[in-house]
Amino acid sequence: MSAVATAPAGTGTNDTAGARRIANAFSAANDAGRAALVPYVVAGYPDADSSFEAALAAVDAGADVLELGMPYSDPLADGATLQKASQVALRNGAALDGSLRLIERVAAARSGVPIVPMGYANQFIGGGNGREAAIRLASAGAAGVIVADLTPDEGRPFEAIAREHDLAVVYLVAPTTPPERRAEIAARSGGFLYCVSLVGITGARDALPPSVGRLVKDVVAISPVPVGVGFGVSKPAHVRAIAKAGAGGVVVASALVDALGESGRDIDRMARLVRDLAAATGRAA
Amino acid sequence: MTVIERLDPPAEDDLEPPRTGKRNVVAEIAERRRADIRDEMGRLSLDDHLAIAAATPAPRPILDRLAAPGLHVIAEIKRRSPSAGQIAAGDDDIVARARAYEAGGAAAISVLCEPHWFGGSVEDLRAVRAAVAIPVLAKEFVVESIQLPHLRAAGADLVLLLAVLHSKRELAGLVDRALEIGLEPLVEAHDERELERALATSARLIGLNNRDLRTLDVDTERAVRLRSLVPDDRLVVAESGVRDAATVAGWRAVGFDAALVGEALVRAGDPRAAVASFVEAGREPSDPANEAARPFVKICGVTDADGVLAAVRAGADAIGLNLVPGTPRALSLEEAVELRRVARALAPTGGRAAPQIVAITADAGEERLAEIVAAVDPDAVQLSGDEPSSLIPKVGRAAWKALHLPADEPSDVAAAAASIVALGREHLAGGASRLLLDTAGGPHPGGTGIRAAPPLVAAIARELPVTLAGGLSSASVGDALRLAPVVGVDVASGVERPREAGQRPTKDPLKVALFVKRARAARLDRPNAPIRPTPVHPGLVEADEAGRWGEDRAFGGRYVPETLMAALRQLEDEYYRLRGDPRFWSDLRELLARFAGRPTPLYRADRFAYEALERAIAAEGSARLPRRLRVHLKREDLAHTGAHKINNALGQALLTRRLGKTRVIAETGAGQHGVATATACALLGLPCVVYMGDEDIERQEPNVLRMRALGAEVRAVHSGSATLKDAINEAMRDWVTNVETTHYVLGSAMGPHPYPTIVRDLQRRIGDEAAAQVIAAEGRLPDLALACVGGGSNAIGLLARFIGEPEVRIAITEAAGDGIETGRHAAALAGGSPGILHGARSMMLQDRDGQVVEAVSASAGLDYPGVGPQIAALAAAGRLELSAATDDDAFEAMRWLARTEGILPALETAHALAALPRILAGTEAGGSDWPEETVVLIGFSGRGDKDLAPFGRWIEAQGS
Repeated sequence: MSAVATAPAGTGTNDTAGARRIANAFSAANDAGRAALVPYVVAGYPDADSSFEAALAAVDAGADVLELGMPYSDPLADGATLQKASQVALRNGAALDGSLRLIERVAAARSGVPIVPMGYANQFIGGGNGREAAIRLASAGAAGVIVADLTPDEGRPFEAIAREHDLAVVYLVAPTTPPERRAEIAARSGGFLYCVSLVGITGARDALPPSVGRLVKDVVAISPVPVGVGFGVSKPAHVRAIAKAGAGGVVVASALVDALGESGRDIDRMARLVRDLAAATGRAA
Repeated sequence: MTVIERLDPPAEDDLEPPRTGKRNVVAEIAERRRADIRDEMGRLSLDDHLAIAAATPAPRPILDRLAAPGLHVIAEIKRRSPSAGQIAAGDDDIVARARAYEAGGAAAISVLCEPHWFGGSVEDLRAVRAAVAIPVLAKEFVVESIQLPHLRAAGADLVLLLAVLHSKRELAGLVDRALEIGLEPLVEAHDERELERALATSARLIGLNNRDLRTLDVDTERAVRLRSLVPDDRLVVAESGVRDAATVAGWRAVGFDAALVGEALVRAGDPRAAVASFVEAGREPSDPANEAARPFVKICGVTDADGVLAAVRAGADAIGLNLVPGTPRALSLEEAVELRRVARALAPTGGRAAPQIVAITADAGEERLAEIVAAVDPDAVQLSGDEPSSLIPKVGRAAWKALHLPADEPSDVAAAAASIVALGREHLAGGASRLLLDTAGGPHPGGTGIRAAPPLVAAIARELPVTLAGGLSSASVGDALRLAPVVGVDVASGVERPREAGQRPTKDPLKVALFVKRARAARLDRPNAPIRPTPVHPGLVEADEAGRWGEDRAFGGRYVPETLMAALRQLEDEYYRLRGDPRFWSDLRELLARFAGRPTPLYRADRFAYEALERAIAAEGSARLPRRLRVHLKREDLAHTGAHKINNALGQALLTRRLGKTRVIAETGAGQHGVATATACALLGLPCVVYMGDEDIERQEPNVLRMRALGAEVRAVHSGSATLKDAINEAMRDWVTNVETTHYVLGSAMGPHPYPTIVRDLQRRIGDEAAAQVIAAEGRLPDLALACVGGGSNAIGLLARFIGEPEVRIAITEAAGDGIETGRHAAALAGGSPGILHGARSMMLQDRDGQVVEAVSASAGLDYPGVGPQIAALAAAGRLELSAATDDDAFEAMRWLARTEGILPALETAHALAALPRILAGTEAGGSDWPEETVVLIGFSGRGDKDLAPFGRWIEAQGS
């Protein structure tokens, strides 16, 4: 399987200021002997102000990097929890303007934590090249962007634009990604490399696949950028296992949205979970 | 007197080393045969054998039979075998069986003569030969040349020679000796080294055995792999490993001329019926979808009546009579008149048209042309010199113009092609009815017999309809037809007998037959090979390597989560391999014919057409209307499961097996794709899960019940708008989760690359069939081809055939729901914008944030906010005309067609019917004038039973 073209010098987005902010957050955690914690908050869920509070609470409870989900009508990589949160947010009026405003507010209130919005290709690129989205995300204060259905095969034009605006484009590798392709994707990813822990969609799991340790070790071994592991990560035990396998960071999403409860407003409960997860990030035996 | 001719000992270097420690059955048998021969034949001299052979009745010819189209059956008689044990009992069995094989249509009978392992004998051969009138093959282990006259004397017409037993020189010697006494050798090989030895002989028949005679192991793919190494000027026989008729059909598809079938016939109860079923499977399929791919074949430079007869028998489309003085094949006017008379007198068989007689001229001058036309009365005159296009109207017959290429590949192919294309266009504009390409620069005007550079030919053939001449033979014609979209081929020297210098060339009937056979078969079961010029941007016809379509490659691609990329790459690799594998398409065609009822009929809807024209008049549009309108409906509603969806479902179910996946998922809107997939999975024994939106489950209940009856699990999707788009999301999520075991049978020509190509390829049969059917009915292509569009599989399936036909307007009808102006519609092209949906960039309904806007249509099959990328590319390029119909329009058209024609269309189909009067009137897109007699082809995508409930409610609301 010939994969993505290998990144020649000057491609990828790892030389952007946004990527450096993300990488610095990862290395600060790593220097402190732990994996970076990347909690995920759905912008506008259940409403704009609540999601702002949730974001601040997540940061204060121990986030090293904050991932902000941009609600989308057709989130095909997401499981039931994030689908529902997206739908509720959209029904309550979440729109791109609101999500950008949220990034601005969080960035202003907690400037030390890099913000990485996550969404789908049609939100950022659609029928064009993504220039408008890149400009607006950068000026709102985002350090990078994760696009769930964008691979390096299709990503080059958007990378070029993101680079102009100092935005990192974070790519994903999956357990189904063949080894040589993993290396090529890692070489193109900016700030960190998002390692999908399992073959499947997002959503809290009781247990991660037993192969996850091996996967993390393999990906870390070939990646020039820090590796953040996500999908299914829900419990301190998961975080501990991933941290011990050598991951630079862990991403926790659905479990935190679940913790917000039916109303989506149980921010204290979510913050407790973030603290518990943060406590599990240490690498010491 | 003991005169046994000893063969040379094998040359050690070209025989395999003995396989120590392994059983070598063939060597044991051969050893025993050597001993037998010393015992049995030592008493007779070679002269004795030769005398017997000379007294034997003339051999029955086999080659002509095998050079006829299709694959022929050589049925084998044996009493027992080392691999199968005891097979036949008494002598009666053998003779009765041989007669049954003959009655079943076998081309020849093979008789095992080896006594110890197979229980055979020369007596068996003699008995069978006496009982039948077809040729008989001596299946013997020939170790000494002295066996050959002995076998000929017993009546053998053919003899088997095993390459494994002989060195290269020895094998060639045996072949020559057999040919000398009228015994046709079939030289059998089972690997590359043996094949090399076989091909080095002058044998015309090459056998490829799936069985390794040393170990008796059968590898059923071996013969097929080796087939590609045998030049097409040999006749090729596949041996061993026949499971059923489908094996034989597959062998025909990859270019075998015969199959040697033994045990499979014995296993079947009725030997006559069993042979007949294999004969049937080997027959060249008659398939309207293939008609446009059938190349025109001209046999040129025929010099005698035998040559004319050979061309007529082979089924050539044209016979060229050379009237260029001083050239090797030149005829006098009198000779040409005589050959024309012979040609016209030979009634062509099988309902074929008589070949056209073409008078070949070069720079002849008007007077000479008039003389030729008056005397020879040809159907066409070929101008092979440097005639100006102004001469064409003066020819007085159809004028064919030869365009001359340089014999060497030019340094600038594009420039050379452009100048030829310009010249060709000039001649077409001047009235030439056919263009030929040959190579110039020889001693005579006209062709040199040298093959032109393939890149140059391809570059010209992409622009102009050309017939390729020069340097072709049965060995090269298949590749020539696959490398360039030429519409025909022309051969002269490639089908001639060897001759002495100064002799006039004559045609070899076997070579002529084989040339025509190879040319005709070249594009069979290759539905995606380019076959004719397509004068549009290539991006409208095929995706590029990244799966992108369009003049600026702005549509398509692959926007999916990384988890799916490996599966999409695997699918792409595997599919592109199958795309050129004739066995896949042959299997699929057989399944579509036997199971799905293809080809579907074309129905001329006269009452509907009459009213459509009246409505068009009433619409008072800008276009000049036709005086007469004929509307043909391509009845996909009559395919099994009631819609075109079965074409794709069966194809992808076969693909699932090739991918080694064990589970199938699908999405469905109207339920037709779900039903088709459930059906295909039931047939092929695959578990199947169908995702369907809640809302669609509600409005398409009958289809839900059908899917469940077929054993599929229908999973309701509640998210989003609970319609098709959400079902696709959910199916993709399932696929992301189960990608290692599951194939996603996507139902429309959309989604990430390679799906738009796969589904289009599987559906293009609709238009390929329909084009041939319209030509049969009308003598020409339609003026307009029209289909409804949701995701676009029915539309692209119908329209793909016509994209490169400039005289055919192509149009689609989108679902306007409550009306495009209301914003509540499903018209992604007319009312959408470019975006990324379900893995591809195309046109879609979305808001300014890129959120997908729900489509609105009463028709579940069109209720989709996107459209496939090829359709979007065609629309963006202006090649596709757009129209739309509201829910009301469509319900009304359902009633309209039901009551005028007695056919209840699916609500989806009804959209296209509803739009027709407005398209004619020019109130939709286009608006240009129509010919006096206008022929319209409509893709009749499905039947309306599933829509009866909403239709009933609509009728009620109308109060009628």
